[in-house]
Amino acid sequence: MHIQSVRRYLLQSNHNSHVKRIIVGLLVLAVFGFASKLIFAPATFGDLGHYRAKAILEEANLEPRLMTNESCLTCHQHEKRKHLKGTHKTVSCEFCHGAYFDHILDDKKIGTLDVKKGEEIRVLCLRCHNKEIQARPTDKIKTVALPQHLEEKRVRTTHTCDQCHYVHAPLEYVNLAKKMMRIKDEPEKEPCP
Amino acid sequence: MDVLSNGAVTTVSNFVFPNDLHVHWSMMIVLYPYITGIVAGAFIVSSLYHVFNIKALKPVSRFSLLFALAFLACATLPLLVHLGHPERSMNMMITPSPSSAMAGFGYIYALYGIVLVLEILFIYRPKLVQLQAGSAGWMQKIYTLLSFGSDNVTPESLALDKKIIKFLAAIGIPMACLLHGYVGFIFGGVKANPTWSTPLMPVIFLLSACVSGISGIILLYILTKKYRRESLNLECIKTCFNYLAGFFIIDFTFEMLEVFSHSYLRSGYHHMVEGLLNGPLYISFWVAQVFMFSVVPLFLFGWLCLTRVKDRLYILGTMVTSGLLLLQVLYMRWNVVIGGQLMSKSARGYTEFHPQWFHKEGIITAIILMSLPFIVLFFLGKIFPFWLEESE
Ligand code: HEC
Ligand code: HEC
Ligand code: HEC
Ligand code: HEC
Repeated sequence: MHIQSVRRYLLQSNHNSHVKRIIVGLLVLAVFGFASKLIFAPATFGDLGHYRAKAILEEANLEPRLMTNESCLTCHQHEKRKHLKGTHKTVSCEFCHGAYFDHILDDKKIGTLDVKKGEEIRVLCLRCHNKEIQARPTDKIKTVALPQHLEEKRVRTTHTCDQCHYVHAPLEYVNLAKKMMRIKDEPEKEPCP
Repeated sequence: MDVLSNGAVTTVSNFVFPNDLHVHWSMMIVLYPYITGIVAGAFIVSSLYHVFNIKALKPVSRFSLLFALAFLACATLPLLVHLGHPERSMNMMITPSPSSAMAGFGYIYALYGIVLVLEILFIYRPKLVQLQAGSAGWMQKIYTLLSFGSDNVTPESLALDKKIIKFLAAIGIPMACLLHGYVGFIFGGVKANPTWSTPLMPVIFLLSACVSGISGIILLYILTKKYRRESLNLECIKTCFNYLAGFFIIDFTFEMLEVFSHSYLRSGYHHMVEGLLNGPLYISFWVAQVFMFSVVPLFLFGWLCLTRVKDRLYILGTMVTSGLLLLQVLYMRWNVVIGGQLMSKSARGYTEFHPQWFHKEGIITAIILMSLPFIVLFFLGKIFPFWLEESE
């Protein structure tokens, strides 16, 4: 009986009762929003700033994907002998081959790495050695223009870079050839494989 | 290393910094401004009726609000899919913060959502009361809830509603502008990217938002009416179409102004932007966005708006034009978002972007995401009748 009359009172509608109820509804929504923030916002959110504090730790603990050249050379003895003596000794193996952890896990091979062949090698070399890259000091990472570089050497312009440059020690065979042909470098140039 | 390892690197030109090689903001970030743009544009249509009293737009005034709401419900989803957590797409409303332009969007988004929902409830109230009386079971409960248990539709009450509606629509306009202007601002504020960082960006985004919103409404209005074999209100279509023409002309002017003024001024980095538009973006910018989807519609506008055309042909023409403009805006978003990232910060090289079908942010995901608003709209339509009856 009592409840009935309360209900009737509540459901009685004046010309503006829906507006009042909507305002109450908005307040409820605000409370609801606040409550859901408490419930749904991740635990460490806001501890340090407007972000999840734990995210820092998680990022720091991400599994690494890349390693050093040193790590590759423990297994790849042949490349070790060549690479360390060549002009590419400072270049990362992973730049040309891909990430260590795509290849090795717990000292075991788990995947094959990318090995560029033929035409792809040219694209790879030109990523660093293209004359178009004008931002470089000319004496640091030397650049060549194509097809001039191949024309100068009097070969067909379809030659790929690795036909003359051994990829892991680019000047090794070039210098060898020079020695066999007794070509002297200009005095300031120090021969280096 | 994606690009490197699948050999696609051949079209990467000149010198691209390693961290610029991969396009990080891909299709999801294209969809995000596209969807919010449709929200803002659709809202403008209903405001033209409710605030500026353009009577001819009455038939679509209610529908455009529902259309806006359906898209608003999905607006943040692409962003959060991009971040890998679609389930958190509503979280930005409970954790807004003025400390970042991105988190600040939470305020705008939440407030705009509330205004939109309230406006729909007030506008539909007489209809909801009527439906409440005529329904039973679950539907009746829903209608009781939506009309806040009040069945009072006396003139006094409706007059009050009218005032509130006007107020909501009026504050809705700046909010819709803010909603989408903000999206343009996010891009325009990226100083390091010469195609993005221009104060014109919010303006262009806003205008193209209106274009996509109005086009979407025209197209859906005609399609649903045809599907239900109901009569079309030609007056309404004509008015919408004329507004569309107006917005589009200004929009396209600004888009071209941006390109040509930089080109004339030879402003810093223009050589990069020029190379971008004439190189990797040649097809998607000049051929698609500018020629097929802008110049062609301009001629269609000229033909349809300025000459006398038979009604059936006119309706077909508006459908084609609206469809083309929806694509224009999509291409524009694509060229801005993805195009802008094809330039390396080296200012000397371009990378490339290959959409994938089955990627997390691939074409399939994009299609699913774009159909979600329509599914939401379908269910909204079960509760709120889209179209007015003759008597209303
Ligand atoms: C400048 C790019 C580059 C660098 C740096 C580089 N490589 Fe290579 N590597 C290549 C290319 C290209 C080939 C394929 C050579 C060919 O077929 O002529 C290759 C071949 C190999 C092969 C033989 C693969 C096969 O199956 O034929 C191994 C192993 C290898 N590299 C390991 C290394 C290691 C270890 C390092 C680091 C010390 C390294 N590479 C650094 C480009 C590079
Ligand atoms: C735990 C030893 C080990 C380490 C460390 C290692 N590799 Fe290997 N790698 C192998 C083995 C084993 C093969 C297979 C050789 C074969 O088939 O002849 C191989 C093959 C390769 C190949 C040929 C393509 C392939 O995957 O079969 C390349 C290229 C290569 N390694 C590069 C590297 C690079 C670059 C690193 C460092 C990031 C590295 N490796 C580190 C053991 C190692
Ligand atoms: C990651 C960038 C990179 C790539 C890719 C690369 N190189 Fe190099 N290259 C270097 C660096 C660094 C040096 C050493 C420059 C120095 O010490 O001044 C060098 C040196 C050289 C030199 C000796 C130049 C000189 O006379 O000082 C040659 C030749 C060469 N590279 C050829 C190649 C070829 C061929 C390829 C493709 C297989 C290639 N490079 C790929 C970075 C690269
Ligand atoms: C026909 C053999 C041949 C081919 C093919 C070839 N090179 Fe060379 N390259 C040479 C020789 C020989 C030298 C040494 C020139 C010298 O010392 O004057 C050289 C020198 C270089 C240098 C050092 C330039 C300098 O200024 O000292 C670079 C860099 C280089 N090559 C890159 C490439 C690249 C990249 C390719 C592939 C597109 C390539 N080369 C293909 C023979 C070749």
